[in-house]
Amino acid sequence: MNLFFERDLRLSRRQLFGKAASGLSVVALAAMLQEEAAGQDKTLGIPGLPGVPHFAPKAKRVVVLWQGGAPSQVDLFDYKPGLEAHRLEDLPDSIRRTSRLSTMTSGQREFPVLPAIRPFRQYGESGMWLSELLPHIGSIADDVCLVKSMHTEAVNHAPGVTFFLTGSQIPGRPSFGAWAAYGLGSVSSELPAFVVMTSADREKTCGQLFYDYYWGSGFLPSKYQGVRFRGEGDPVLYLTDPPGMSRELKRELLDDIGELDRQRFADFGDPEIETRVAQYEMAFKMQTSVPELLDISKEPTSVLEMYGADVHRNGSYARNCLIARRLLERGVRFVQLMHAGWDQHLNLSTQLAIQCQDTDQPSAALVKDLKQRGLLDDTIVLWAGEFGRTVFVQGDVTRPNGHGRDHFGACYSLWVAGGGFKGGLSYGETDDFCYGVAKDPVHVHDMQATLMNQLGIDHKRLTYKYQGRDFRLTDVAGEVVAGIIK
Amino acid sequence: MTKLAALFRFLPFGLLATGLLAQSPSSPQKPGTDFSHDIEPILRAHCTQCHHAARKSGGLDLSSYEGILKGGNSGPSVKAGKAKESLLLQRILGQGGQRMPLGFAPLTDKDTALVEKWINEGARLGGGETKKHWAYAAPVKPEVPRVGRSDWVKNPIDAFVLARLQKEGLRPSPEADRTTLIRRLSLDLTGLPPTPAEVDAFLGDQAPGAYERVVDRLLASPHFGEKMSLPWLDAARYADSNGFQQDGDNHQYVWRDWVVRAINQDMPFDEFTVEQLAGDLLPSPTQDQLVATGFNRNHMLNGEGGAIPEEQRNVILFDRVDVTSTTWLGLTMACARCHDHKYDPFTQTDYYQLLAYFNNVPESGVPPGGGQYRIAEPWVYAGTPAQTEALDRARRAQAKAEAQLREAENSVATKRALAEWKAKTMIEVHRAYDAKVIVESWNVAPPFKGSSFDEAFDTVYPPEKGDWSGERERADWEDGKINQIIGDNTAVYLRRTVHVATDAKVLLLIGSDDGVKLWVNGKPMLSHKVTRGVVPGDEKLVLTLDKLDNEIVMKIVNGGGIGGFSFSLVPGGIPVELLGELMSESYSSRAKVKQYFLAVAPPRDVADAKARLDAANKELERVKGETPQVMVMSDRAPRKTFIYSRGNYEVPLGEVHPRTPSPLPASPTPQPPNRLGLARWIVSADNPLTSRVEVNRIWQMLFGRGLVRTPENFGVQGEPPTHPELLDWMAVDFRESGWKVKRLVRQIVTSSTYRQSSRVTKKLYERDPDNRLLARGSRFRMPSLVLRDVALASSGLLNAKIGGPPVYPYQPKGIWDGLSITNERDFTYPQSKGADLYRRSLYTFWRRTVAPGNMFDTSSRQACTVRPSLTSTPLHALTTLNDVTWVEAARVLAERAMTAQPHDVNAQIETAFRLVCARTLTDREVRVLRKSYERALSNFQRDPRAAKDFLSSGEERPSVQLDQPALAALASVCLAIYNLDEALTRE
Repeated sequence: MNLFFERDLRLSRRQLFGKAASGLSVVALAAMLQEEAAGQDKTLGIPGLPGVPHFAPKAKRVVVLWQGGAPSQVDLFDYKPGLEAHRLEDLPDSIRRTSRLSTMTSGQREFPVLPAIRPFRQYGESGMWLSELLPHIGSIADDVCLVKSMHTEAVNHAPGVTFFLTGSQIPGRPSFGAWAAYGLGSVSSELPAFVVMTSADREKTCGQLFYDYYWGSGFLPSKYQGVRFRGEGDPVLYLTDPPGMSRELKRELLDDIGELDRQRFADFGDPEIETRVAQYEMAFKMQTSVPELLDISKEPTSVLEMYGADVHRNGSYARNCLIARRLLERGVRFVQLMHAGWDQHLNLSTQLAIQCQDTDQPSAALVKDLKQRGLLDDTIVLWAGEFGRTVFVQGDVTRPNGHGRDHFGACYSLWVAGGGFKGGLSYGETDDFCYGVAKDPVHVHDMQATLMNQLGIDHKRLTYKYQGRDFRLTDVAGEVVAGIIK
Repeated sequence: MTKLAALFRFLPFGLLATGLLAQSPSSPQKPGTDFSHDIEPILRAHCTQCHHAARKSGGLDLSSYEGILKGGNSGPSVKAGKAKESLLLQRILGQGGQRMPLGFAPLTDKDTALVEKWINEGARLGGGETKKHWAYAAPVKPEVPRVGRSDWVKNPIDAFVLARLQKEGLRPSPEADRTTLIRRLSLDLTGLPPTPAEVDAFLGDQAPGAYERVVDRLLASPHFGEKMSLPWLDAARYADSNGFQQDGDNHQYVWRDWVVRAINQDMPFDEFTVEQLAGDLLPSPTQDQLVATGFNRNHMLNGEGGAIPEEQRNVILFDRVDVTSTTWLGLTMACARCHDHKYDPFTQTDYYQLLAYFNNVPESGVPPGGGQYRIAEPWVYAGTPAQTEALDRARRAQAKAEAQLREAENSVATKRALAEWKAKTMIEVHRAYDAKVIVESWNVAPPFKGSSFDEAFDTVYPPEKGDWSGERERADWEDGKINQIIGDNTAVYLRRTVHVATDAKVLLLIGSDDGVKLWVNGKPMLSHKVTRGVVPGDEKLVLTLDKLDNEIVMKIVNGGGIGGFSFSLVPGGIPVELLGELMSESYSSRAKVKQYFLAVAPPRDVADAKARLDAANKELERVKGETPQVMVMSDRAPRKTFIYSRGNYEVPLGEVHPRTPSPLPASPTPQPPNRLGLARWIVSADNPLTSRVEVNRIWQMLFGRGLVRTPENFGVQGEPPTHPELLDWMAVDFRESGWKVKRLVRQIVTSSTYRQSSRVTKKLYERDPDNRLLARGSRFRMPSLVLRDVALASSGLLNAKIGGPPVYPYQPKGIWDGLSITNERDFTYPQSKGADLYRRSLYTFWRRTVAPGNMFDTSSRQACTVRPSLTSTPLHALTTLNDVTWVEAARVLAERAMTAQPHDVNAQIETAFRLVCARTLTDREVRVLRKSYERALSNFQRDPRAAKDFLSSGEERPSVQLDQPALAALASVCLAIYNLDEALTRE
């Protein structure tokens, strides 16, 4: 390797310098560099920061199964048999207090309680209570760590998603995946460290937009931002060679460019030139590795069946789940699967079941698939949305397609599997009306801190100085939730 | 990598570290705790929100060292040397009283330990910290150092740079060759490569002043403003849409054009500042001065369904404070939103006093609903002179038509007609009540879903053809109430029968969300394509029903969200409430009756005048629709401003008034307490920051990095300038000479410092990898917006038109469409045709939710960005190798070279290379590219189909006169040229 390697290393040095100034010994510094170098031998991906992970990690990879629109915890996860006695009664004032509602129901005069629209049942040896709409997730219940005491300040989608995925309601901060790529680097030399895929509910009835800042790098260098694989056209922008340009010709063209660039380097001595040559090589490799990755024709039938028939539809949630596994296998650090369709304000009675049908089986299949390949232990699978939904009805409950539930952030549920999280656990409790956390609250920042912890990262120490302040994913908050990890 | 190599990697850094320490003004690390370094940040973060000089909760002020010693109502806060007995520590630990800070998370163990240690060490203030941070003291023009070397020193910039180099024992690099220089200048000042003719002219100009002549030519070019505006647009987070869901488009391009024009006219920077921050507050502001204030309206706007307007309005206010303080002052005021700034001397009060300047805008915080464009108040029509003239004309015509209508309405003939109508109507009313109207309930057919609102509205669905299969009764739909209909882009048909005993006049009052059509007995009576909410009576129709059965069919078309309709039928053809008025002879009743008469049964001349007015109104609406509406600033909604607890707008604390930040010198002359006063203070001679920040920004544009490498932060935590005296000299000089930006640019680019070669030896690189000492010229990859312009210009495709509405060049499928997770709006990319495909990148439509596909490494235009990102990733390589933009440009470039040099392949290659990189190739380089050409040629000769495919990229038709395999081979070489490091780099 050339003595002048690339900007990345100089960046690392700058980081090191900060530590050196605060008293890290030169010997420790040299040791860290060697460790970093040893780790790099086999890989040409983006190196991480020296000293990261901060401690032995439980997990090496993350896949986020983002359930945009906010799934109803009342109907799916938070079992409240007692609500039946209050069906369509007005939510007591003592419970409603002054909780923050979106402007879509904050003006509503009545708040009739609606219990879960479908029965719950127990799953797995742990006997976890889940809706009967989620039989497949039920089948992995003993691997699932269900957190029922999540809470967030956000009440609208974009700010809520931005908050969960970047730590701030206002766009512009680095996303979780960008932080992970920045801290831990990439294992693959042929694929990006952070990949994003999107899918939506089929009828596009209750979707939300996906903004690129949900996987942005904020003020971190832009190479850490998520690379979006698209369901339409090139899976990665401009991945396909121009028409008429064969692979061989392209190879030769790159060789020629490389030859002239190396002459330029000899003349000018700027190591950026060498970096550029390396990046052009990786681009060339990606042109082969990405199509190979997306080609599922060699997957055994048993695996395809596990994900469900939808897996054959390009861009579907099921297909994306399968691709996620293939990405993780190939060393991609962070996969973020953005799905929308849970925003059931007025069509809960029809759309909830359809959403569950589309997402239940593939989500569970991914967990099983990772498990049977021995990857689940060190892969975090996070199934989460931006907030939950109200226990009371929005709209007219007498009309089948005219009612649902509004946004609600004071308590909601999500689940995590693998990566050292405790399987078969239902954590936290909400009050009798599912209107607030009663026990073991977990704030979004706490969840972020815990996820980072499993990656071997102290969330308070993975920081980046910008505009004179050390920024981190968890802003100024966040405590690791010891109760949900092994 | 071997261990040895790892050590080597460490070594050069060690050298750099020493260099950095030497130049850093911060004092070396002392043993023990230091008040301002360790303790003050803790107190500011946790305590001074209540315990500050103005509020003194419990009589205690912890915002100053003196205040801490003095203590509060319970006595002194610290006993030096005895932490355990000090109130400060006791309260933090919750001993002897409530744990502080009250209502917030306790201090961390680490912070608590620091406070304890500090008290135990004597609670000292510590030394050396009384000196003001460099950036908060006004710059004083330093003496230009005497450095000798008059051959090298062209102006004071060089003297400062050379003095530093001499101190470091370094020498400047030699001047770059002329070809490199003209390319560097052209790219830096216009963002376009020099033409071979321009290069030749410069190479041939041996008279003194040749270089300066090139500089002056480029400064006078209209493309100068285009290039210079790019970083300004990043700072101003300029985009052509609002962001967030629906992402409504805007017309802020008018503001963008104003920026380009102002820079081209060399508007002094102080004026440039005042007009953008407060143009609306200048006496009788011109249209341009209003448009300029668009700067502070380029923020995002959240139109999500449940967005809380007041919350969004505060997000916008925070954004304005951030943008203004970062862009002009290089300050990170955002830190003081929730608590006093931890490092810089700004308090939360300072923050909200600054916010108060922006808090009087008549805005709700959310954009209005509607179609493609969503322009939030306040805004002005700001068209071109032709558009403005057309608007004036249409307004005059409308006013005239209105006057004529009034005249007709008040004529004697109208008075007579009214009397007749009244008599007749009374008879009708009596008849109608005798007619015994019976209205059946509605029947509804199953809904029909279109792919767009237009389609749903325009399509003739089966019920219109008489096929009502699947219809069912909706007895629950009541007349006069709002009945809901759901489904995006959905058409719903309903029908009912009305029985009357005799012919009778009735009045229909209809409201609809959104569009509506109506048929009575098969005759179309109403068709209104509109998006709106339900307002009963939006549509009024008087019709005569036939004796016995009448069928009423209605089609309601909903665009998105919840839709609905209301319907009521009034027998007699006049509203019930008018019946009483008809009988009355009072003045107000007569006026009401007349009004009604004129609406439903106007005499001929009134109807004609009404028709003329309708036409004039329609024309006015059309002209308005074509005239851009630019969002601007206004102070028409004075509001009180409060400090927000922890930045939460729902928890206001004390009221504050507009005031400039207290740690900075106030304006020497009294200023009005509004944005105009703020703007004048920003450009006042006593402001220590503005001129430094702007000079640094220009330097950054010309050198890749600023003298202050954290352009967004000149505060305590920012990097100190690499050349403090140079920065100050330039800052004062810039201001004193009238804030002339072109003069400043000229001063920098004519220096020897700027003209140095960017070659670097290994030794110098190790010594100074980031080129902080400026011992060489800088080289950096060009921004992607410029890379695209270079490809277009060198190939000859570029359409050099300046200004105007944004255009839509090539973009891969699915970039915008992917946004369309709901059907709420159509995100089809309306790709431009012809010459608009080849406008400069500056004019590309910038959707705020997703940047143009091939403009990588750009700021997101969501928040203020003043530091460019110039990274290198495989995705960038894919773009410039495979995007149709570059592939087409490569082919057009090849055509150009082949046409110029029909018989000599080497000459073709050289021609193409010169057009891109300006210089001539070395023999060795020619050999490499010729080899590349020959390989491609034999490939394309073997496979003519591939040649045809390769030449087919883009809308511009390929030349068929030229030999196709040869053209394809040369095009592939041109594509390689565009991807050379040299072509991507401003050398």
